Amino acid sequence: MSVKKLFVLLTVLMLAVLAIVPVSAQETIKIYTSWPLQGSMQPEGESMLDAARLALQHYLDDHDGVGPAGFNIEIVATDDASPTTGSWDGVIEAENAQRCVNDAACMVYFGTYNSGAAKVSMPITNEAGIAQITPANTYPGLTHAWDAGEPEIYRPSGEVNYFRTNASDDVQGFSAAAWAQCLGFTKVYILDDRQLYGKGVADAFAQRAEEIGLEVVGRDGVESTDIDFRALLTKVRAAGADLVYGGFVIDSGGPQVIQQMDALGLFGSDIKFMGPDGLVNPALVEQVGGADVTDGNIFLTFPGLTPQQLTSDSGVRFVADFEETYGYEPSPWSTYAYQSMQVILNSIERAGVNDRAAILEAMRGLSEFEGVTGIFGFDENGDPTITALGGNIVEMGEFVFSTEISPTMNESCDMGG
Amino acid sequence: MNAIAESWSKLPRMLQVGIVLALIIATPYLIGAVEQTSNFALLSQINRALIFVVLALGLNIVVGFAGLLDLGYAAFFAIGAYTFGVLTWPNLGIQASFFIAIWICAVVAAFFGILVGTPTLRLRGDYLAIVTLAFGEIIPTLVRNLDEITIRIGDWVILDKFNLTNGPQGMNPLGRPDFSFFEGIFNMQPGALAVSFDPKFWYFMIVITAGFVLFASRRLDMSRLGRAWKAIREDETAADFMGVDPIRTKLLAFAIGASFSGLAGVIFASMIQAIFPELFRFQVSIFLLIIVIISGMGNVFGVLIGGLIISTFDGVLLAQVLPQILPDVDVQSLRWVFFGAGLIIFMIFRPQGLFPRKAKAAVIPTALAAEGGD
Amino acid sequence: MSLELELFIQQVFNGLTIGAYLGLIALGYTMVYGIIELINFAHGDLFAFGFFISLTIFTALGIPRPLEGFNLIVVLPLIFVVTMLLSGGLNVLIDRVAYKPLRNAPRLAPLITAVGMSFALEALFAIWQGPSQINYPRYFPQIDILRDWMGLEPQLLFITTKDLFLFGVTIPLMVGLTLFVDRTKLGKAMRAAAQDREAASMVGINVDRIIATTFFVGGALAGAAGLVWGLYINSGRFLMGFEAGLMAFTAAVLGGIGNIRGAVLGAFIIGLLKAMGDQYIGGAWSRIIIFAVLILLLVFRPSGILGSTQSIEKV
Repeated sequence: MSVKKLFVLLTVLMLAVLAIVPVSAQETIKIYTSWPLQGSMQPEGESMLDAARLALQHYLDDHDGVGPAGFNIEIVATDDASPTTGSWDGVIEAENAQRCVNDAACMVYFGTYNSGAAKVSMPITNEAGIAQITPANTYPGLTHAWDAGEPEIYRPSGEVNYFRTNASDDVQGFSAAAWAQCLGFTKVYILDDRQLYGKGVADAFAQRAEEIGLEVVGRDGVESTDIDFRALLTKVRAAGADLVYGGFVIDSGGPQVIQQMDALGLFGSDIKFMGPDGLVNPALVEQVGGADVTDGNIFLTFPGLTPQQLTSDSGVRFVADFEETYGYEPSPWSTYAYQSMQVILNSIERAGVNDRAAILEAMRGLSEFEGVTGIFGFDENGDPTITALGGNIVEMGEFVFSTEISPTMNESCDMGG
Repeated sequence: MNAIAESWSKLPRMLQVGIVLALIIATPYLIGAVEQTSNFALLSQINRALIFVVLALGLNIVVGFAGLLDLGYAAFFAIGAYTFGVLTWPNLGIQASFFIAIWICAVVAAFFGILVGTPTLRLRGDYLAIVTLAFGEIIPTLVRNLDEITIRIGDWVILDKFNLTNGPQGMNPLGRPDFSFFEGIFNMQPGALAVSFDPKFWYFMIVITAGFVLFASRRLDMSRLGRAWKAIREDETAADFMGVDPIRTKLLAFAIGASFSGLAGVIFASMIQAIFPELFRFQVSIFLLIIVIISGMGNVFGVLIGGLIISTFDGVLLAQVLPQILPDVDVQSLRWVFFGAGLIIFMIFRPQGLFPRKAKAAVIPTALAAEGGD
Repeated sequence: MSLELELFIQQVFNGLTIGAYLGLIALGYTMVYGIIELINFAHGDLFAFGFFISLTIFTALGIPRPLEGFNLIVVLPLIFVVTMLLSGGLNVLIDRVAYKPLRNAPRLAPLITAVGMSFALEALFAIWQGPSQINYPRYFPQIDILRDWMGLEPQLLFITTKDLFLFGVTIPLMVGLTLFVDRTKLGKAMRAAAQDREAASMVGINVDRIIATTFFVGGALAGAAGLVWGLYINSGRFLMGFEAGLMAFTAAVLGGIGNIRGAVLGAFIIGLLKAMGDQYIGGAWSRIIIFAVLILLLVFRPSGILGSTQSIEKV
């Protein structure tokens, strides 16, 4: 084969690839989703994607099969995890955002799951003037003042283009500290997994604990790959704590900490565990050894409501149809994947045109919107105006909503639920 | 294949260079066209693959040329990226220019190369490997914990909660190449040459870097130093007797290898604008080692081609194409099975790698096989 | 006893427990390295295999918990034997598939197949048992020895029957292995093969069989460690072998790779460093301390604590 033939072959191959790719229909609006769909995140990622699809299906069902403002909506699911590491990857996240920007039909960028990934994609969508909405980011600095320069560093154009329908970690950490005081705890030992999320929420807890006079008797970070916490828990016990606050997710040390607290007799000595939403997962109870371990011993906060806790008509319908359509229980963040998708469709409907600026403007103006978790709008930062934070306990191995919590609840400790 | 190689070698030199350049320049546009209509992310995967090629070329100097097994090479990648972070992160106030910072980062990475190299000079074989592995584990952990540095000598507080790396929150935004100087010269609008995350722009930045590193590798390979590396790789004691200074030679391998990954770290950090400790874990070191060994240890062009093949095999074929062809199979969970099995099968049938070095292919394996059996 | 003292004693104890299970894994690492000079990256995954397979056996037999009477005295040891046989067998199989064809290949080739094997095994574990953390039910009865048996009232000290079980299994295994290598004919053949494979085969030792035996014994010990871990820590995950393997490898090198007593010593040192680091320096720094100690030690003793440059006892 000569070089010339090789080039001919290459060209033919290239054209063949172009030819087999279907040409998309005219009046289609594309929504790019971006969160991990592989590795240990796969169950949550798939569930969030299914929730987004269900929200679209419900919209169509309610509007005689006509999409918002008559447009055909297409969800383009992208994965921001790297095959090399199995978790989110900056290069791929940036590429996903860039693909949305380059695709003239892409009107909304729907992501991310990891707040670190949002730090990468936000400046890209912001410069392009595309609305971005997340199903799960809780890092405070993405929307309002937190670390130095935030959130302006994510907004090169100076305009707000990023929204979330769930509460952020600062509110969650603050509320957890207030709730802990209301529950009668006085000395807390703080652990975190030294990850963006775990440390952030633990920082917020520590800050509020100090303000309200809840004594922090110690603080330690752990490696997220570590599984043997007996030495640390011995230290916790010696420090005289009556509560361990653990900034973990289900995949870092959280379940082991709980399980080993029980094995080392900490629960037996009335030292309890409190943790954030990263641990609110139906699998947790089984992972730590069942209801005997969890009942009465662990307290978990969630910046909103899990699917199982939804009481609104639309919420109940979401969960029922989800289980019927996909054959499994929706994961915790599916609530917000569904609700954010509702917001996207509503914004397109109100904009009425397939224009990025108009849809962004419509999303910014969201108010009095009835989502699955309640009625809310967006404030000037892109945060939801009303956030329900739940304090959960475990009864008979099931997460049970115990009380609504807030950063200032310790002032009156109204725990009526 | 031979026919292609033959007719290629008959072409005039200028034409060869021209064709290669044309292909390099055309690539992002051709791929852009495919991306527009398909649902694959290709150009960024190529950028990623090329960054891995630059890293693998650096590792190739240490492992391939000098025969020093390095299991923690991602640490130098991290050092390059984080040095760039320290130099350009607005919160630290230095905000050096990209073009100055990139050289500083390469030098800092080289310095760390020497730092790791020094304690390993007396070590042989796998003891060396474990020290590099330990270093590779220490760096990301250290980066994660250097967000509240307090140094006190008695009452004298040198640093109080000094935030060098911003810990798990990562550093962003970071510096980008600034071409505004040319805007003035060519009378363009301000901001006309501003750099954004445009994969095409970064493609060219990375190609230039990769070209530079490739060229440097080739020159080193054929230089006196290159021969010294090969001499200590094959028999350190004999090389020592023949007048090769093993200490200087080994340290230069570590330093030059590390400086390449410093460059890669800078490009990577500037491209994605946000760096986190988790990006530089052990899997990255292993992935790079796989590229170098599968490509055939020491063959510069082999590493280039092998790196591109392995990265795209994983990032495009296994991650993107296969799930679309086989929608009903759970490809994601099986992917690592395929990858692992692929590695085993490949090595069994071609233990010398894809492109073994021609001249001494017969000598090296036995020399390496004998090493360490003290 | 003051609280400070109790705390110190308890942390030393915690460090020793970490060393006990790590030591079993490190032994297999060091034996395989001694004989074919391979950093067997897949070795940690056998530990995970021992964890999963023993859990599967417990579940399949429907054994009630906690273990009592017949189940404790007869069934548990049987499960140990089966787990060790299966793990050892798997390790021999791994050697056949991934390392044996490469016995005379370039030295780094089997390293890459080891990495490939590790990836494949971990992915298969994830498919088999799911990607999340798994609870290993508390089969072994846990009784507080100091308070419930001895009637003492310590403020902090906490030692249970599970700790007795941990040391009761791991120490005899370690001693047994040392005796096996030192005293038996097979052990002598292993030492000979480790010193010089060619010379050993010339004096009539079947080196292939010796290598297979080494893999079997190493795998069996890792499998036993997986079972002990399951009953002791009660929690695991498909990736657990990676971290455990990394630490075990570090332990083996610290003690002098190829040296059996060194591997055990290295494991106990790492365990103590972790417990002390967690207590007195901070959890986030323990890992850095372990690896920094390793580097420093190798600078001053390039062959590890018990490794000698002549390597007389190298298995």
